[in-house]
Amino acid sequence: MASEIETGSKYIPEMAQKEIEELGSSIKAASIKVIEDNIERMKKTWKNRAKSMEYFDEISNLFGQREKEIREQKEVGKKVIGYSCIFAPIELILAADAIPVRIGSGWYDTAKLGDRIMPVEICPVIRSTVGAKMVRLSPYLELSDAIIMPLTCDGRTKLSEILSDYKPIWYMNPPRVKDDPHTLTMWKEEIQVIKEKIEKLTGNKITRQKLRESIETMQKATKAFRRLQDLRKGSPVINGRDAMLVNQTSLWDDIERWTQKVNELCDELEKRVEQKEYSSHPDTPRVMLTGTPMLWPDSWKVPNLIEESNPQGVVVVDEQCSGDRVLYDPVGVDEWIMSDMLAAVGERYLMACTCPCFTSEHGNEDRINWIIDRIKEYKVDGVIYYVVRGCILYAMEYARIKRVLDKMNIPVYYLDTEYTREDVGQMKTRVEAFLEMLEARIDI
Amino acid sequence: MISAGIDMGTQRVKVAILKDNEIIAQSQQFSGFEPTKAAEQSFQEALQQANLSRTDIQHVTATGAGVNMAPFADSTISMMGADARAGTYFFPSARTVIDVGAEDARAVKCDEKGRMLDFVVNARCAAGAGTFIEAMARALEVELEDMGSLSLKAEKASTINASCVIFAESDVVSLIHREEPKPEIARAIFDAMAERIASMVHRLGINPDITLMGGAAKDVGFVASLKRRLGMDILIPEEPIFAGAVGAALIAAKRAGRRR
Repeated sequence: MASEIETGSKYIPEMAQKEIEELGSSIKAASIKVIEDNIERMKKTWKNRAKSMEYFDEISNLFGQREKEIREQKEVGKKVIGYSCIFAPIELILAADAIPVRIGSGWYDTAKLGDRIMPVEICPVIRSTVGAKMVRLSPYLELSDAIIMPLTCDGRTKLSEILSDYKPIWYMNPPRVKDDPHTLTMWKEEIQVIKEKIEKLTGNKITRQKLRESIETMQKATKAFRRLQDLRKGSPVINGRDAMLVNQTSLWDDIERWTQKVNELCDELEKRVEQKEYSSHPDTPRVMLTGTPMLWPDSWKVPNLIEESNPQGVVVVDEQCSGDRVLYDPVGVDEWIMSDMLAAVGERYLMACTCPCFTSEHGNEDRINWIIDRIKEYKVDGVIYYVVRGCILYAMEYARIKRVLDKMNIPVYYLDTEYTREDVGQMKTRVEAFLEMLEARIDI
Repeated sequence: MISAGIDMGTQRVKVAILKDNEIIAQSQQFSGFEPTKAAEQSFQEALQQANLSRTDIQHVTATGAGVNMAPFADSTISMMGADARAGTYFFPSARTVIDVGAEDARAVKCDEKGRMLDFVVNARCAAGAGTFIEAMARALEVELEDMGSLSLKAEKASTINASCVIFAESDVVSLIHREEPKPEIARAIFDAMAERIASMVHRLGINPDITLMGGAAKDVGFVASLKRRLGMDILIPEEPIFAGAVGAALIAAKRAGRRR
């Protein structure tokens, strides 16, 4: 219960309706321009862009067709369940016929609004999400009937508190040590609790049959995702930004339709492999991204720089919870009975996750191994370690990752930035120097 | 083989002309409001020095923060790439190149052929760059040229915070209020700056030999502080301010050769 002397919201001060509307509509207009601009830039780099990309361009409009669709489904009684990070068990949401949407914000302009109540040292993903809430910018956040908030980093922990004034918040408590038997037990209970909350909100029982269907749906999505990823292992037939966009739209699209569209894209790209019709020159330095989630649309700043740089780079893979980590791991079920399925869902979200919130006496081993494996599979020439100011866990783990990459003789560059457009010039200098270095190494 | 390098720095434009990889002309100008014009003038001056005309130059490579403003360039190279090349040109044993310019500082790790292997940039704050010395000289009411020799007279070391120019300036003011002698304060300023640069070098790993270039390499006070902080000697070319332009000209020579 809140303290006696408190009334109203805990963090966000009341704003005049007029200010909310004015700020909201101007930021929305700016955001639509950024979305269009990003797509134009992707088209410019990838001259003969695959026709199947058009679908993902449309879904990438955060204020477009998909918003309308979700609104309509809500009107006929469907529930929308938002989530802040990839620990949320999507299979359970789908099994209750609810709509999962991720709510983290990639809007630079709303980070400035967040500054009104939080110091600038705080991670901009958090400040921006708060700012988006202040002016009701995010359709998916606004449409959510409840929000799953896994308490992974400090920023998200406090964000959950701020959002609790507006939406029912369902906390999840992921353990920070993975392989202790008691932490796994605790996590399984968390999954059970979330299942019950979803059932209560939706009024739909998550039956054995329903859960099996949703697990199979997500397995198909993973299969399509991996098919696309396989196409990124050879000479580029899809540029990094385009693949990133495809993967990120899975966070708010209808997942069955998304799967079908990804398969159509793969059909088209597989033909291009045969015809050697590349999206970038086969000698282009191959870059891996790791670090802070890179959220659409404004955070496309970094991949834009990489793929428009002189010399050019191509992002072939990432290790980010906004990208290649989302669908990488399928839920592995032994027997299609309820207890086994729930355990499998729980394990998939905990054990496979490489978030730097984890630790052990060997450090965050799973992340290190994930990065090493992908570097080999995707023939990565260099790694860009992206961190936004205030993203402490990723910033701290850099030194460890760099030591490993140094031993592998893989160059890594620590690219720190903010939710701002003003540092593009400085970043360009650094990104170009890094790509120049990778190119010189390829020459040797 | 005649090649040229243009370094479009934030404060000055530098031009170097090489003949068979030997420096035959160097010229500089303040960038001012029209860096392109400054570069043109500087280039003309260098041509006159070398008694050459524009058509004698086989390849021009531009570098520097204002690289896009270069009036004519056959190609470009990053500042770090130019640094690495220049470092090993002046000192074949150099494996770490530190470049402290007016607005930024960087450290580059390179191999024996002058190829960049890794780099760190201090782009967040001017406290690790040349203009910091300028601002602090103003606070102490000392000529910029005199800051270095003044600091060498210090008997002990005071400390200031150099995470930010503004904080550093207020720290300097409080040292003035404590009536610290000017040499002590001047040394504190160089020490703080050297500390920032040294931590940048440590992030790359210490790979001797270390060479220092850019305008700040001319400052005896800064050089003394940096040597102390790194605990080793630092190699400095005769005219460190032209190092970036020379690096670009070396790259230009290589590219011209490849083209033929």
